[in-house]
Amino acid sequence: MPDAKVFVRMGSHSEKEYVEKTACKFDGTMLGANLVEATPGASASFLFNCKNPYILDPMTYAFGAYVDPSTDTVRYDLDWIKSEQKIRGSNGKTKRDFKSSYTKLAAAFGPPFSTAIKRGSAVTAADFGTNADVENVCRTVLDYQMARVQRELDSDPETHPFARDAKPPAFLLAPYFYVEPHNSKSWVELNSRLAAASMNLKAHVPVHLVVCCHRGLLSEDSLRVAVLEYVKASRADGVWLWISRFDEHMATATELGNLRTLVSEIADSSPVYNMHGGFYSLALSKFGMSGIAHGIGYGEQKDVVPIIGQSTPTVQYYVRPLHAKFSVAEITRCFSTLGIKDASSFHAKICDCVICKGVIKNNLDAFAQFGEIHYSTPSSKRPAQTPAAAKRCRFHFLLNRAVERDAVNHSDIANIRKGLDDAFESWKYTVLGRNQLGFLKTWSDSLS
Amino acid sequence: MTKSLIAEKKFFKEAQLLSPVAQYAKKRGFRLQLAEVPFYEYRIDLYGFSKSENATVAIELKLRDWGRALEQAMLYQLCSDFVYIAMPEDAANRVEIAQLEKEGVGLIAVQNTGECQCILSAQLHQEVRSFYRGHQIEYLRENARA
Repeated sequence: MPDAKVFVRMGSHSEKEYVEKTACKFDGTMLGANLVEATPGASASFLFNCKNPYILDPMTYAFGAYVDPSTDTVRYDLDWIKSEQKIRGSNGKTKRDFKSSYTKLAAAFGPPFSTAIKRGSAVTAADFGTNADVENVCRTVLDYQMARVQRELDSDPETHPFARDAKPPAFLLAPYFYVEPHNSKSWVELNSRLAAASMNLKAHVPVHLVVCCHRGLLSEDSLRVAVLEYVKASRADGVWLWISRFDEHMATATELGNLRTLVSEIADSSPVYNMHGGFYSLALSKFGMSGIAHGIGYGEQKDVVPIIGQSTPTVQYYVRPLHAKFSVAEITRCFSTLGIKDASSFHAKICDCVICKGVIKNNLDAFAQFGEIHYSTPSSKRPAQTPAAAKRCRFHFLLNRAVERDAVNHSDIANIRKGLDDAFESWKYTVLGRNQLGFLKTWSDSLS
Repeated sequence: MTKSLIAEKKFFKEAQLLSPVAQYAKKRGFRLQLAEVPFYEYRIDLYGFSKSENATVAIELKLRDWGRALEQAMLYQLCSDFVYIAMPEDAANRVEIAQLEKEGVGLIAVQNTGECQCILSAQLHQEVRSFYRGHQIEYLRENARA
């Protein structure tokens, strides 16, 4: 079975510090093409200097249909890639228009992406008439990933001399669209055509597929069979699963079992990865999973369409023994039950990473620094986590994720299951054990 | 049945429990008090301090879900000497008292008339951490008036 790899996805340049400082611990860095288009110079410079292999996600799904999370209806209006934008010279008036990063991306990809932006409605299967149309789209999207960094460096006189030294991505991602639940069949067919055409182009670097699908992939046999059929037939160099709204911690035993089966079946023909995965997916490396990707803090599950209007979530503290994040108050409330009375027992039973050692030193009360709150502006009505506290939590998580990956790679499945069972036994009488740790049992059973 | 319907109609928002419960806590000596006191990402519905007893109280208001209220109450034990759940009388009658008793969490029933009745007294417990308690009292002094 393969050793599991972990790729870290950088969502914005404010996360650059995390990626750079932990680069040596991870297997690669992933960036969305929309970020590259929003900040081409900074992105090209970052990727040029990046010590790790990198991957550019072409984000083609953003131009397809999506399901509005608030109404559960299919939308073709591409509204989620729009934002309120100031109208020049209009005294602060705004209009809703496409974000410039996606407009630029569509222009770079050409039709049908640019056409979708012009007409203001999503790309559909009908936009891909002939096989030659499909092949053209695949070629453009793959070429974009291959050459984007070099092209950007080339365009700036200061970086032009280094442009030829720019590395290509570690692998390319074929264009892909979200298989939304109302029209699964036609989206599967389109993704199938894009996969086959991309593989036929024989690119100079490996080409991977992304299976971006609703949760039904883990419960509907006919959908799973249809996806498996084209994925296996494509003989792709790698396959990335992105199951929208699938959270390993909340998933049912059936879904987790079906994910395991799906991974095993794909792994027979191609390496398989989870694009937004956590510890359970890492453990699936014993059943063929080659690796996972996730964000900085934490992005272990992702909806295809982000829910708009939510306040910035608190970055919670990741408890490695439980492979899950909880609030600082919840964890502190567990100390007495776990027999944690001082810094050394904390380090022995919860975490001894350099961040925790640096923060807690000899004072257990300093654990509170992971949850510090403040009023970010004088007019703020609710206190929010301080940036420093969020930063501690993120670095702590990344260091622990690398430890988890190494532990999984050096363990057999029996040991991984024992770790889950032992953690449940140790924590079951804590406040978390009341109803938040059931996933440990479900994971353990699903890995048996 | 009629009584139950009246009770549920009377209290259809947690905020409606605040005033009677705050009065009740004041009578018990927790004169310095404040609603919605931040504690990490949580907000304690009512937090009070009794200068004469040098004691703090945290009260979680809930209309129905006492299990969730107990989980929150247990967290508030980190910063408060006494912790209560306050619910409409009918809902309070459905609480598994033994579970609250085991954790040292008290229960207040709020009657339709606005009268409060202590069903179970909160116990002094070992979970309170002086670090958090001190912070909460300081916050109370800065933001509340007796």
